[in-house]
This record gives sequence, C-alpha cells and structure tokens, in this order.
Amino acid sequence: MIELNNVCFTYANGSTGALNHVSMKIADGECVLLCGRSGCGKTTITRLINGLIPHYYEGELEGKVSVNGIDTMEVELYETARCVGSVFQNPRSQFFCVDTTSEIAFGCENAGLPEPEILERIHNSAEEIHITDLLGRSIFELSGGEKQKLACASVSAQKPEVFVLDEPTSNLDTDSIEELKKTLLLWKSQGKTIIIAEHRLYWLKEICDRVIYLENGEVTFDMPMQEFKLLSTERISELGLRMLTPELLKSQTNDAQSSDELVLQNFSFFYDKFSALDIPSLALPRGGVIAVIGHNGAGKSTFSRCLCGLEKRFRGNVFMNNKKYNRRGMLRKCYMVMQDVNHQLFCESVQDEVTLGMNEDNADKIDKTLSGLDLNAFTERHPMSLSGGQKQRVAVASAILADKEILIFDEPTSGLDFGNMEQTADLISSLQGEKTVFIVTHDPELIVRCCTHILHLEGGKVAENYPLNSENTVKLTDFFVKRECECG
Amino acid sequence: MNNRILQADVRNRGLVLDPRTKLLLLITMAVFVLGGAASSYFPFIVPCLCAVPLVLLILSKKFRSAALYAVVYSAVYAINILLADRLSGILYFLVLGTTGILTRFMPSVMMGIYVVSTTTVSEFTAAMQRMHVTEKIIIPLSVMFRLFPTIADEFSSINAAMRMRGISFGGKNWTKMLEYRLIPLMTCSVQIGSELSAAALTRGLGGEVKRTNVCNIGFHLQDIIAMLLCALPYVGLILGWFGVKLI
Repeated sequence: MIELNNVCFTYANGSTGALNHVSMKIADGECVLLCGRSGCGKTTITRLINGLIPHYYEGELEGKVSVNGIDTMEVELYETARCVGSVFQNPRSQFFCVDTTSEIAFGCENAGLPEPEILERIHNSAEEIHITDLLGRSIFELSGGEKQKLACASVSAQKPEVFVLDEPTSNLDTDSIEELKKTLLLWKSQGKTIIIAEHRLYWLKEICDRVIYLENGEVTFDMPMQEFKLLSTERISELGLRMLTPELLKSQTNDAQSSDELVLQNFSFFYDKFSALDIPSLALPRGGVIAVIGHNGAGKSTFSRCLCGLEKRFRGNVFMNNKKYNRRGMLRKCYMVMQDVNHQLFCESVQDEVTLGMNEDNADKIDKTLSGLDLNAFTERHPMSLSGGQKQRVAVASAILADKEILIFDEPTSGLDFGNMEQTADLISSLQGEKTVFIVTHDPELIVRCCTHILHLEGGKVAENYPLNSENTVKLTDFFVKRECECG
Repeated sequence: MNNRILQADVRNRGLVLDPRTKLLLLITMAVFVLGGAASSYFPFIVPCLCAVPLVLLILSKKFRSAALYAVVYSAVYAINILLADRLSGILYFLVLGTTGILTRFMPSVMMGIYVVSTTTVSEFTAAMQRMHVTEKIIIPLSVMFRLFPTIADEFSSINAAMRMRGISFGGKNWTKMLEYRLIPLMTCSVQIGSELSAAALTRGLGGEVKRTNVCNIGFHLQDIIAMLLCALPYVGLILGWFGVKLI
C-alpha cells in the first residue's frame, strides 16, 4: 500500500512540478495512471514514491509518504529501492553498465544477492520479457524499444513489489509500445502495484484501473478507468491530454498542394554492404509538410541523414527549383531539428544563435523572424535557459535565417502533452508553403494537425507516397490502428 | 562509426585479459614509453613495448585500430629517422617536435584505448573490488567508464548539428569550433550524468551491504605471460640503478 498524506513539495532549483497538499492511497495490486499537463507534478509524485525526493532532488517537503509501511523520507534510497523499481523516460541515461547482462545483474549485485541467485534471476527476467536474444550485447547497439524492454527486465530482476514508470513511451514507436504493454500486463498479473506517469494514454486503457488527474500540483479528479474512458474527446483535449483512441483520426482541411515538385534521385545508402536505403527516384510536393512514417528500422533516420547531406559516402541528388543539389548542396540547403535540441544550440544568446551561419542578406529579417516565432522577448537569454518548445523555435529561426529550404524535424513531439504538441503543430504549419518540411514521427495526432503529405518507408524502400486528403486519411489511420488490433 | 571505438563488445572479443593485468600494462607503458624511464640502460625496451598495444589490439580483434596504429606509428617513426636530419632551422624543430610527441604519446594512448574498449564496467568494478579499493573511488571511476561512450555518442550528434550550421574547418567560424562544441557537450553531459545517477540510486547503488559481482574475472595463462613481460623492464630499471649493465 502506498500512501501520500497531505504532501507539499517545491523544488529547490525552482523547476516546475511543485505539489500542493496532495493525498492519495494506492492499494496493493492496483494500477494507476497519473496524467495532466507538462509540469503538473506527476513526475514529482513518481519521485516521491521511489525516494528520489527528498534524497536526490532537493526542495521543501511537508507531509508524509509511505510505501509498504516504509517511510521513504526516513530510510535511505537503497532501502526504498528494494521494494520500488523505476523505469525512466530517457533510454539513453538509465543504464549504468554498457552491456545488457551486467545491466540486469546490476540491481541484484547492489542488493548483495549471491551469484547463483543473480544468474538465475537474469535468466528468468530475460525470459519473461522475451529479451533472451539481447543478452550479452552492447547497450549502444539497441534500439529505443529494446532499451526500454531491457530497463523493464533489469527492474524486474530485483523483484520489487511496486513499479514506477515515468513517461516510459516518450521515445517509442507504436510497436514498441505494444511490447511494453505486454510487460505491464505481465506485472499486473503477478499482482504488482504499478504507477505510470504518462502523456500517451491510448495504450493504457486495458492496463490501468484508476486515473488520477493533476493540475498545478493538485489532484483534480481521481476516477476508475471505466468512467474515464467515457469522457468525450473534447473534454479530453480540454484537460490537455492526448487522445484515448487512435481511431478518432480526422482530417483537418489541409490546403491543396502546389504543383511545384521536389525530386529526390538515387537515394540509396549502404551500411557495411547492408542496404539501409534504396529509393531510385521520388517526387514530393515542394512547400508541403511531409510526414515520414514507418516501423523501426524502416530507414527513416538514414533517409533524413542522407537528405541533410550528413552521410559522407552518400551520392544522391535533390532537384529543386530547376537546380540540382549534390550532397554538399544539401548540407547547405537542409537543416534537421534534432530530437534533442540541446545538441544544436551553441551560442551565449538567442541573438547570437540565430545569426550564426546566417546569410548576410537576411540581417534585416532577424526581428521579423524572431517575432514571428514569439522569440523577441528572449533575444538576450541564453538558449539553454529556455523551455523545450522555445529551444525548438530557436533552432527553426536559425534555419530560416540561414536560408535553408528543407527542414527536417526528428520526432518533434516525443514526450509532449497536448498543448505543447499543438504549439509544435502550429509552428510547423506556419512554415508550410515557405519551406519544405519533413517530419519523422510516430505521432498520429501531430500528423493530422499539420501534414499535407505522407511518405511511408518500409525496409529502406518507399512503401507508399500519397497526399493527405480526406480519402487517404483511412490509409493513414490503418497504419496506426491496424497494429493496435493485431496486438490488442 | 567512430563512436564504436570506446565500447566493449562482449560477444566477439578474442583474447581476454584480466582488468588488473591491463592496468599493469597501462602503467608499464606510461612509465617506460611515455616517461622514458630506463631508456638509457635498456634501449631496445621502448620499441618492444610499442609493439604490445598492436599485438593486443589484433588479439582482441580490433583490426582497424591496430592497422591505424601500425601505419601512423611507423610513418611517424620513419619521418623521425629519415627526414629529420636532412632538415634545418625551424622546420627541423617542428618536425622533430611533432614526431617526438607522437612517438612518445601514441603507444600509451593506444594502450588506453585498448583498455577502455575491451573492459566492461562490471569487469572493471569487479577487478577494483578484488584489489580492495574503496567504493568511494570505484563508483566515480565506473561512472566515468560509463560516460566515455555516451559522450562519444553525443559528440557525433553535435558534430552533425555543426556541419548543418556550416561550422567546420574552412568555414568562416572555424576559430570558434572548440567553444561551439563544448557548450552543448557540457549541457548534455551534465544532464545525462544527473539522470544516470538518479537511475543508479533507484536501483540500490551505494547500500551498506557488500556488493556481489557476477563477472568472471581471474588470472589465466595469458595474464601470467603479460605480467612476466611487464616485470622485465622494471627488473632492468632496478638493476640499472645498481649499476648492472645488461648490454
């Protein structure tokens, strides 16, 4: 049993997510979904349960938290760790070892279990979660989905009674989410208590029994899943939440396509003789917003790296505006907004950032571009001090001023709540017509909001390439929903 | 891909040495090749030791690193011997300086790469525990081991971002390349480091119980041979101090 009794918490470094007189009781074997807008305090609750607050994240804390009779504020973290297992959002930074087997062993080793017992547990939890084939591999070779499975297996090996997951699907595609769902159902059948803080809700319908909605650090409602499922779509988006059913895809009127074309030619690329991309010729609408979809390993990231001219051995061309661009030309004309925008902000102020690499002729456009992106209040701020969405806009501003013709967004909405996702969609829509935008994404809600064209890759080849109009929406819905049925 | 250099591949590793042996080899390389101890008594020891990382890299199937090392080292060495005497003035000092630094540093650096790229974090911790090093030293060191490949990963993403912004050698902003690279690298590393610690703590790191370790480490025949080889220069050095001349 987990009990939060009148808990107030503010982070010492002032980050968002403070809690205000929160009380809740979670019974053994219950499966609870915590949801709400970004910064509502759902992550804070997971940290209270696994003891990271107050032992790792400091701040002002009042009230009482107990997990299975342990007072998490009093006992040391390693004691709480024995009964609470945690899975985090970022697969990059939750592994302590560099190879999979020792990672699963890590928690058990910390608990000082005898060696034969650990080996047995490694074996068992790898079987349970179906990752026996991943044992003994380097963690850096794994895909996002495989990493999250490994994280589950290594937590599982410690046999905790309570599982805490903080946005576990932020970096996952629909297939990997299905896999994660199976793992959670397994834990549930074993009678474990599960607490998930999540933005994506549709996959949790059959898992969670109870939904707790937070707003500004307070519990607004706490209802059974049965009841929550009956809320109307409008109500759900009013609450700032992501949709519950992917079937509800609706096409919003997207403008007719321009007749101008962008032609990609000879887009093929090999990794060690293994063909990763093979597209002889492909015509796409210039000035459109093109969603690049496909399963993991379909060649989406190779495609975007080639399009940006980042692969040195790549020999393809782009024809645009009656001009031919080779790899170097593409490097000058294309720009990728990376999933982790922190990788591409270099300067001390937003002003410096957007003028770095700028075309000199655009000097008079700086103000206009910045105000167009709502950034004019931040020109003197350090880019790293901005919020995620603002950083994304800074990256876009620098691309516009550098006269980039093609912008590629890599998973721009992973881990975003409804409001922030809409903002990103608006940002991308505002570029439509001016620039050709590619969005590599697994987010159907984003696609219906701003894309005009779909490029579906599979096995390094073009599976389908169609404009997104009302007729074709069915096709898109099929891509995202069909697999839901297969696994559900 | 360059970020594969610093990662231990567990399945396909060839000859395995105990981490303690590797540490001894590394120290020996540093003392005799980098530090230049005993070179006056023992002139042939340096070339012999220089071959050690080459042999080890080949035995652990790191053929590309091995080939690169062999080619660059022999080229630099050849320049040092053949060319340096024929030059004069500032060019002479330049060539002598660069080749001198490279021949001294490269073998030890390659040895370091060998150690990092063939040792997993848990093997390393196991070895440190066997040597009775305190946890206060082991934990930060193992985190460091863990961070190397991550930083290499981040570095390649940042590199890609820089190229798209036109910051490269030959571009107009090349003087600021180091700064531009370090700012995002530091922010990302700090963030990853802190998330990594949080994750490790929730899995019970730092408890009072004695940690166990499932890693199989231990000395084998190859370790004994390597250690005997390492002992030779030290013996030579000590004999040298007592005035015994071997050659």
